Amino acid sequence: MKIFWLGFLAAIFVLPLAVATYFRLGFADVQSDTPPSTWESKIMGVAVRQAIVRRATQQPPADLENEERLVEGGKLYVNGCAGCHGELDKPPGKDWSHFPPVPQLPAIGTHYTAAQSYWIVKHGIRMTAMSAYGPFYSEQQLWGIAAFLQNIRSLPPGVQERILAKPASPPASN
Amino acid sequence: MLLLLLSAAATVQFGLMDVSANAQIPSWFEQWYSASVRRSVERQASSVTPLAPATDAEVIGGGRLYLNDCVGCHGEPGKPPSEFGATFYPRVPQMTAKGTDYTENQIFWIAKHGIRRTGMSAQSDGYSDQKLRLLTAFISRLRTMPPETMRAIVAQAKPAQQSAEPKK
Repeated sequence: MKIFWLGFLAAIFVLPLAVATYFRLGFADVQSDTPPSTWESKIMGVAVRQAIVRRATQQPPADLENEERLVEGGKLYVNGCAGCHGELDKPPGKDWSHFPPVPQLPAIGTHYTAAQSYWIVKHGIRMTAMSAYGPFYSEQQLWGIAAFLQNIRSLPPGVQERILAKPASPPASN
Repeated sequence: MLLLLLSAAATVQFGLMDVSANAQIPSWFEQWYSASVRRSVERQASSVTPLAPATDAEVIGGGRLYLNDCVGCHGEPGKPPSEFGATFYPRVPQMTAKGTDYTENQIFWIAKHGIRRTGMSAQSDGYSDQKLRLLTAFISRLRTMPPETMRAIVAQAKPAQQSAEPKK
């Protein structure tokens, strides 16, 4: 019986200890300029998706998709997100400089709901380059970005033009 | 063993793993993680050809690059730590406050290849080896640099701030 329990404990502790030691001794690669392996993407993808589904329970505002909100969110996207997530009016590139690579949203859109996008932007995703933007955007702005992302591949006519329009230049002096 | 794997799989599948970046990082995790990264960098950066000692001009050139492209996350000289850098998980090391324990070769390797599963991306697209060399010269001297040298670099760099693209 004693042997059985020893075996039981060994099984529980040996594997995590071996994994922790493998990393601690520097055997894991750390460079971010190579694509993640398929199994790592699969496991982490499921972990992140399911965690967000569980946590993103905030109700979006009733008039989520009104056009003014899309334009406001779109402008925030262009200024704050496009640098990593892709420009609206440029052909999509592939990001191998971050690990995991940053989703190129204008090309692939998102399968997250607005409430889930809101949660991601606000809280960030740990162990990725997605930081938490809660301290920098108001609730109104966060919902604007979420609404825009819902529609990034199917913006109503004229909206993208309004988003990309340069602000009217200040009147020239004299 | 099977039980352990199953419970790990269940944690993942039912979304019980916390993925938010704006949470407290447990100190045991931070220590284990940064020690693991350090060992791996030490191992991999040993392939970098040793860099020649940098001249003052190279250090100043590197300071200019740092002030253009790195301060947003890694902190600006003479300013409080970057608020933006504090929203990442793991947090972004504040270079100007704490300097770094990495050697020049290791800094060069990290800037070139990035660190996976952090906000640190590989900079080799925007930076030639020569530019990385300058940056490395500056960062490795952050701790030992006399304050007046730093002030001179900041003063020199200010007019040239429209050059390279900002990288986060």
